[in-house]
Amino acid sequence: MDVLGDLIGGFGTALSFQNLLFAAVGVTLGTLVGVLPGIGPALTVALLLPLTYNFDATGAFIMFAGIYYGGMYGGSTTSILLNTPGESASVVTTIEGFQMAKRGRGGAALSSAAIGSFVAGTISTIAITFLAPVVAGLARSFQPADYVGLMVLAFVSITALLGRSLLRGMLSLFLGLFIGLIGIDNLTGQQRFTFGVPQLLNGLDIVVVAVGLFAVGEALYVASRLRHDKEEIVPVQGSLLMNRDELKRSWKPWLRGTALGFPIGALPAGGAEIPTFLSYGLEKRLNPKAPWGKGAIEGVAGPEAANNAAFSGVLVPLLTLGIPTSATAAILLVAFQIYNLQPGPLLFVNSPDLVWALIASLYIGNVMLLVLNLPLIRLWVKILSIPRPLLYAAILVFATMGVYSLANSLVDVLIMYVIGVIGFFMRRYDFPVGPMILGVILGPMLEAQFRRALQISQGDLTVFVTRPISAVLLLLAVAALLLPYVPRLLGRGQRLVFGSGSDD
Amino acid sequence: MTTEDRGSRSAQGRGFLGPRLAAVALLALAALLIVSAFGIARGGGYTVIGPATIPLVVAIGILVLGSIFALRTTVLPDHDLAEQAAGEEVVTHWPTVGLTAAALIGYALALDGFELGPIEVPGLGYIVATGLFLPLTARILGSRSPIRDGIVGFVIAIVVYFGFTQFLGVRLPAGILGPLL
Repeated sequence: MDVLGDLIGGFGTALSFQNLLFAAVGVTLGTLVGVLPGIGPALTVALLLPLTYNFDATGAFIMFAGIYYGGMYGGSTTSILLNTPGESASVVTTIEGFQMAKRGRGGAALSSAAIGSFVAGTISTIAITFLAPVVAGLARSFQPADYVGLMVLAFVSITALLGRSLLRGMLSLFLGLFIGLIGIDNLTGQQRFTFGVPQLLNGLDIVVVAVGLFAVGEALYVASRLRHDKEEIVPVQGSLLMNRDELKRSWKPWLRGTALGFPIGALPAGGAEIPTFLSYGLEKRLNPKAPWGKGAIEGVAGPEAANNAAFSGVLVPLLTLGIPTSATAAILLVAFQIYNLQPGPLLFVNSPDLVWALIASLYIGNVMLLVLNLPLIRLWVKILSIPRPLLYAAILVFATMGVYSLANSLVDVLIMYVIGVIGFFMRRYDFPVGPMILGVILGPMLEAQFRRALQISQGDLTVFVTRPISAVLLLLAVAALLLPYVPRLLGRGQRLVFGSGSDD
Repeated sequence: MTTEDRGSRSAQGRGFLGPRLAAVALLALAALLIVSAFGIARGGGYTVIGPATIPLVVAIGILVLGSIFALRTTVLPDHDLAEQAAGEEVVTHWPTVGLTAAALIGYALALDGFELGPIEVPGLGYIVATGLFLPLTARILGSRSPIRDGIVGFVIAIVVYFGFTQFLGVRLPAGILGPLL
C-alpha cells in the first residue's frame, strides 16, 4: 500500500541516530518544561521554539513531536500531584488523580496516565497515518468559501462550547481578531491598526501573544496570590506500578477515551477539553461502583487518553488543511512557517519526506515517552519542589528570551508584557484565552479566504451557502452555537414541569 | 435580610468594580479602533472587500460585545462574575503584581539599552540583566534566600547565554560584558 510505503520511508528518516537523539531530547525537554506548574503544552512548545532555529526542518519537527507529547505528559503529572492543571484539558484529571495521590496511589495514577497516553497516542497516530492523506486529498477540492465555512465553524465551536460565558468567549475572540489585523494588509498594502508604530507594520507574532498570555499572564496571576495560596505537594509513595486490579480497570477507559478524543480533536471543531469531560462522564456512568471522588482510576485513565488522542487528532486539520484548532497547534503552525512550510493539502505533495518523517516520529516519540517517563517519574516529581518564587522568576526569564530571540526586538518584548497584563485580567475575570489565540492566528486566514471567495464570486455573498461544503460547515457552526442552550432550554422545560424554583 | 446576606451582597458590589473597569477599557478600545478603522485608506486596486471592511466589523463587534458586557456589570448584573471577581480581590496582593510588572519592564530595557530622546542608554546585556532580574523578581514574589537566588540567576544567565549564542545561533545582547565575551 502507498501509505505504508511512505510511512516506511518516514521511519527510514526518523530512525537515523541524529533524529532519534532529537526525539529523545524533545521528549525530555517537553516533559521537563511541561511538569512545571502552570505551564501547558502550548507554552512548552512556544518557549522551546528558539531551540530549533538552527536545525534542519526534519530534525526540528521530530524534536517538536517529542516536545508536544512530553509537554502533554508533563502536564498530567502536575494535575495529579499538585492539583494544578497546566491547561484546561487536564482539569478533569485533577478530580480523581489528586485524590489518588492523597491516598498513596499517585504512582499508579501517573502510570495509568502515562500508559493511557501511550495507547491513545499510538492509536491516534495510526489513525492520522491513514486519515491525513485522505483528508488532504479531499481538501484539494476546497474552495476559499469552504475554508471560510471551516474557520467559522472552528471559531464558533471553540467559543461557544468552552468556557462559562459565551459573551466573554466572544469578546476574547474579537480581541484576538483585532490583534490579528494589526499590520500591513496583504492584498492592498494598507496599514491597519498600527497607530503609527513602525514595529507593528509586520503584525504581531502569535508567539508574542501566546507567551504573553500563557507565561506572563500566568506568572502575574500566580504572583498576585502567592502569599495567599498554600500549595500541597503530595509525595509519590509506594509502588509506581499499577496493581492488577488497577490495570484491569484502566484499559477499557484508555480505549474509550481514545475513541472519544481522536474524532473530536480531528474535527475542525477542535479542542481537547470537551472529550476529557465526555470521557469522565462516560466512565462515571459505566463504572458506577468505582470510588468516584475518592480516587477512581477510571477518571484518570479515560480523560488522559482522551486528552492525548484529541491532541493528536488536532494534527489532522493542522497538517491537511493548515488550520490549527488549538493553541498548541497554532504554535506548531508558527514552527512550520519559520521553515517556510505551509501546512495544507499541498504539504503532502510538496514535502512528503518531512510529513512522513514527522508522522513516523510521532510513533517514536510515543515509545520514547513511555520508556523515559515511567522510570523517571520520581525525578520529574522533584521538579515540583522548586520554590515557587524562583520558578516563576525563571519562567519570566525564559519567556522574555523566547520572544526576544524571535526578532531581537525590544518592542516585541514590551508588547508581550502588555499582553501578559491583559492575560492577567482575563484570568481574573474568567475570560477564556483559547478563542483569543485562535482569533489571532485564524483571523487573518479567514479574512484572506473571505475576500478571495468574494472576488471569485464577484461580490456575491450567496457563495457561502450555495457551495455544499461551506453550507454544511456553516450549518454545523450554527448548531454548535445553539448546542449549549439546548440543555438549558430542556432544563427550563423540566423545571416548569416539576416546579423546582432553583436557579442556576 | 440577615447580616450574612448583606455581607455577600456588598462583597458582590465590590466585585463589580474590576469588571466595570474592564468594560470601560473595552469600550475605549472599541472607540479607538472604530476611529482607526475609518482612517484606513480605501481602494488600492480592485477588491470587492477593501482593507477597511473587516477591521470595521471587528471594531463594531468589540463595541457591541463590550456594551453587552458593560450591561452585565450594571443593570443586568452577572452575579457569578462578581462573585469570582470579589473572590480574586480578597486574595490579590497588588504590590506584588505591580512590582513584578515594573521589574519586567526594567529587565527588558536593561537587556538591550534604549533611547531616551537624544540620550542613548546602553544596555547591561543578557547576562548581567538576567542575573539581576531573577533574584530581584524571586524576592518580589516572596523568596527569602537572596544568595541562592543570585547564584541561580547568574548560572541560568551564563548557561543560556553561551548555550544559545554558541550552539543554537540565537543572538543575545552582550552589553557591558561585550569586551569580555
